[in-house]
Amino acid sequence: MSTNESAETIQEQIVALLPRLRRFARNLARTPHDADDMVQIAVERALLHLDQWHSDARLDSWLFKILRNAWIDEVRSRGRRAKLFMPEEAGENVGEASMEREIDRLSVEAALARLPHDQRLAVSLVLVEGLAYKDAADVLEVPIGTLTSRLARGREALAAMLRPPQGDRS
Amino acid sequence: MSVSDETLMAYADGEVDAATRAIIEAAMRDDPQIRRRIEEHRALRETMQEAFSEVLQEPVPQRLIDAARGHQPARGHDAARTGNVVDLASARKAAADAPGRRRSWQPIAMAASVLLGVALGYLAWHGSNTWVKTNSRGELVAGAGLAEALSNQLSEDRSPGLVATTGLSFRAKTGDYCRTFSTGANASSGLACREDDGWKIKVLAQTPNATSNSSNFRPAASADAPAIRAAGEESIDGEPLDRAGEIAARQGGWAGSKR
Repeated sequence: MSTNESAETIQEQIVALLPRLRRFARNLARTPHDADDMVQIAVERALLHLDQWHSDARLDSWLFKILRNAWIDEVRSRGRRAKLFMPEEAGENVGEASMEREIDRLSVEAALARLPHDQRLAVSLVLVEGLAYKDAADVLEVPIGTLTSRLARGREALAAMLRPPQGDRS
Repeated sequence: MSVSDETLMAYADGEVDAATRAIIEAAMRDDPQIRRRIEEHRALRETMQEAFSEVLQEPVPQRLIDAARGHQPARGHDAARTGNVVDLASARKAAADAPGRRRSWQPIAMAASVLLGVALGYLAWHGSNTWVKTNSRGELVAGAGLAEALSNQLSEDRSPGLVATTGLSFRAKTGDYCRTFSTGANASSGLACREDDGWKIKVLAQTPNATSNSSNFRPAASADAPAIRAAGEESIDGEPLDRAGEIAARQGGWAGSKR
């Protein structure tokens, strides 16, 4: 990125990707505020390291990777990894939701929040963000086989959590 | 032949090569089980996409757009936002040095129980509302609007339109996280602590012009009314949290050390 013109173009491309970055971040962070803080960190880092981005690579994958790394750093620096995964918190507000659709959404969120973070990342990138397996594997810096098995396990767990209760109704 | 579920999943995601696709499509014709499993994979994918699509319609905060365009972030937030390991002591010092920021408690002798009386009077006056309510055990807790602010807002954030602003955050001797807050709408401020089932209001004070005879309270437009500071001083363990500390606490859902 040698000229200002191309840097500006990339910046506008990043602006256009902000909604998706926020969505991905929300599946990592505990609260929407934390998610936006992480997006800001990631975007600031991306601009600092634009020279590391190759224009033949997907900009969204590259930003997702930076975002994921920012999240890992954040978690590590706090030393509070365990606190990030408190599934009961995610479903806490379900009772306050007035619309059924809202409840549905929260329960899917709650289910995703219960997944181990490896599976949650794989599911977020492939099922929510729509990345191809190879791009998602690249974001997570794992072989494609690892991505596939995390995705399969995550899906299986999600399906079990979201399945309507059957047979055990009294 | 049997097809592994991983392969069916990859097929549903459009991730198999032509040869595998032909095998699976042949198997689908013969085996309703396989058809059903592929349908389940597709349905889950749709469910996930739909469930998380709402954020895409939300307006993006200006600070993120500014960051993407390379505009300078607000001063004082840098340390917490670089994402590097933050030296808490220096971050705290930076916060303390920032003009207009109060980071220490002034001990003031005042019984918190007096304030609870005010709080109950407040409730009687205003009835139930979105920011303070009583729970089933008769305790004062944050209502939905205030709870939202206490759970999500950092003390440095002062977005207009929010029901409450948060002041200081700290870890109490009980192990719980506590935060001071103030609400512009009804000129009240207070101290709330995050307990297992929500934000409990420990102290609630109103400004003199909002109550008839609270001469002991100075105007509490911010969350550091003397009585609230006194209650905080009494219960605080260590020092107030800086921004990085708040972010960490928020990530943990403000769950105290007992839980």
